[in-house]
Amino acid sequence: MKLLIVEDEVKTGEYLRQGLIEAGFVVDLIHNGLDGYHQAMTERYDLLILDVMLPDVDGWRILKSLREAGKAVPVLFLTARDSIDDRVKGLELGADDYLVKPFVFAELLARVRTLLRRGAAPVSELSLRIADLELDLARHRASRGGQHIHLTAKEFALLELLVRRQGEVLPRSLIASQVWDMNFDSDTNVIDVAIRRLRGKIDDDFDLKLIQTIRGMGYMIDTLDGHS
Amino acid sequence: MTRPSSLTLRLTLLFIAVATVVFLAFGWIIGRSIEEHFGAEDIKELKVITQAVEHSLVTLKSHDDLAHIEQRFDDLLVGHHSALLHIVDAAGQQLYASPGPDLSSMPLPNAEQLAQGTVQPWSDSQHNFRVLTRHMAEASPTGRGPYTVFTAVATDYHLHFLENFRRTLWLMVVCGIAIMGLMGWIAVRHGHRPLHHIVDQISRISANDLNSRLDPDTVPAELTELATSFNDLLQRMEEAFIRLSNFSADIAHELRTPVTNLMTQTQVALSQARNATEYEEILYSNMEEYERMAQMIGDMLFLAKADEGLNPPNASDIDLVSEVRNLLDFYEAWAEECQVSLTLEGEAHIKGDCLMLRRALSNLLANAIRHAPAGSGVNIQLGHSDHNVFIVVQNPGTPIPAAHLDRVFDRFYRVDPSRQRSSEGAGLGLAIVKSIIEAHGGKITAASDEDFTQFRINLPLLNIS
Repeated sequence: MKLLIVEDEVKTGEYLRQGLIEAGFVVDLIHNGLDGYHQAMTERYDLLILDVMLPDVDGWRILKSLREAGKAVPVLFLTARDSIDDRVKGLELGADDYLVKPFVFAELLARVRTLLRRGAAPVSELSLRIADLELDLARHRASRGGQHIHLTAKEFALLELLVRRQGEVLPRSLIASQVWDMNFDSDTNVIDVAIRRLRGKIDDDFDLKLIQTIRGMGYMIDTLDGHS
Repeated sequence: MTRPSSLTLRLTLLFIAVATVVFLAFGWIIGRSIEEHFGAEDIKELKVITQAVEHSLVTLKSHDDLAHIEQRFDDLLVGHHSALLHIVDAAGQQLYASPGPDLSSMPLPNAEQLAQGTVQPWSDSQHNFRVLTRHMAEASPTGRGPYTVFTAVATDYHLHFLENFRRTLWLMVVCGIAIMGLMGWIAVRHGHRPLHHIVDQISRISANDLNSRLDPDTVPAELTELATSFNDLLQRMEEAFIRLSNFSADIAHELRTPVTNLMTQTQVALSQARNATEYEEILYSNMEEYERMAQMIGDMLFLAKADEGLNPPNASDIDLVSEVRNLLDFYEAWAEECQVSLTLEGEAHIKGDCLMLRRALSNLLANAIRHAPAGSGVNIQLGHSDHNVFIVVQNPGTPIPAAHLDRVFDRFYRVDPSRQRSSEGAGLGLAIVKSIIEAHGGKITAASDEDFTQFRINLPLLNIS
């Protein structure tokens, strides 16, 4: 997967590139709007990450020109200003997502993956599986090693989210918004408690621990034990 | 939009307009009445002469008398300055004509007017006259009657007087208008003096003495309201200013603590070589500080936007029961860990911004769970009263001192300063609740006693259109 970052802030750009490369993407970084636009027009990318405030051509205009030229590549906007007008404008121009600085890198990564996945045809699975953990989506039942695990509806939703995106670090804010529809930061440790309880049900009795805590970033489900 | 013209100019023009109307009307009335007076005098004189003439004509005994009649009429005219007389008989023969302008050239009025005697103006090339023409009904003993008598008096003198009078009047009107305008201007300038005085006072107020006020008793009655509302404005500005300065100071303070932590920690870490695990540990610790700061910035931006009125609620119908149930669901696990039970009573519907109200209720609920002692419960009551919807969040716990109750909604305010930056977050939670509720036209109050701490929200049913 090949990404293009257009970001004039040198430090931010470098760190984004490093983070995304380490997450397994091929990343190009451009520091101004005009070059960014030409790069996006000539090369083929799977996703663009555009800063709204660029010194020469702002992100809106790049997006507009790209869309007018028939480029349908998904675009994720980064901005330091969070106003509803900006958001509406971005979505009207055909932006796919919008992230306000300062953001948590894990959040960016999660959104990038969501956007990249969006292009793929949705798979309607009946069950999800990781190691010996199995989720029956139709009947909302979870089992591990053939042993039924009783989960509440929200616990099941949380587990389903983790398993669907196995191997991805999910920040707390993303979990709160996807599972509980809470789209703002809570200054409580609600998510940690929920994860702890889920762990108690699916991991405590097994040697292979599935739910990993990625400190400072969030949680993920993976078979690589001993990560934290 | 063009700027309206100055008050002085407007009032002065108004004075001039009024003076013009008054003077002109006055002048016209005086002119008319003098003219009428002259007319009446003339007619009286004409009638006197005509009567005398008629009398003489009626009393003519014979043709002989005709010889003397000229003398008689000459005598008769002597007493009347510039009067003319012209008499013709039925055949149109001239019986008598006074010396001077020839009245016979005057056009004759019609028969009916002639019978009654009519007065009309007439002028030859040099003089103006008023002429009474009368056709005598009675036959005269001389057999030449009935006669037609033309009596005229010159009006030149009167016309001349009137002309002079009008000229003087016009001059007076123009002078009067000019004087009125000038005096009006002076009066208005003078009348505006209290206004200038107030402007002076206002212009002396700077950002540093927003506490000074205008004294409404020292201004004219018309300006009392201005002074009072200006004082109110000052009051509001002063409050906002103080709040803003405190807020800035608080921001600086709140940011200084994490930045100090970060700096100290990083400097200590760098002061000697460490192994990778230790560096990792420091980065994690820094990360936590950064996250806290990022959240604080987000919250402050939300509040700043609310202050600017940039968070207009999007109205939709909200079932508060399901909304609160979702929140209880969210907090359930955490509350159980804290050994706090959550209960919900009542039901209510409201029109409001779902996301914002959810955030407000979430903050309130988190606050209540955090302060409820283990083994107790947080209770939420919903209901309607009059035209309001109320939401009460209540938890047992250490009572908040009365002096702090009003201030719990202040930004960065913490009841117990020693609990700074612990689990409480940035101290902006309740300030955000308040700003959201106020954006919905509602009110939030806090009450606390030995048993319970209670937050009560009142939201008007028809709060936003």
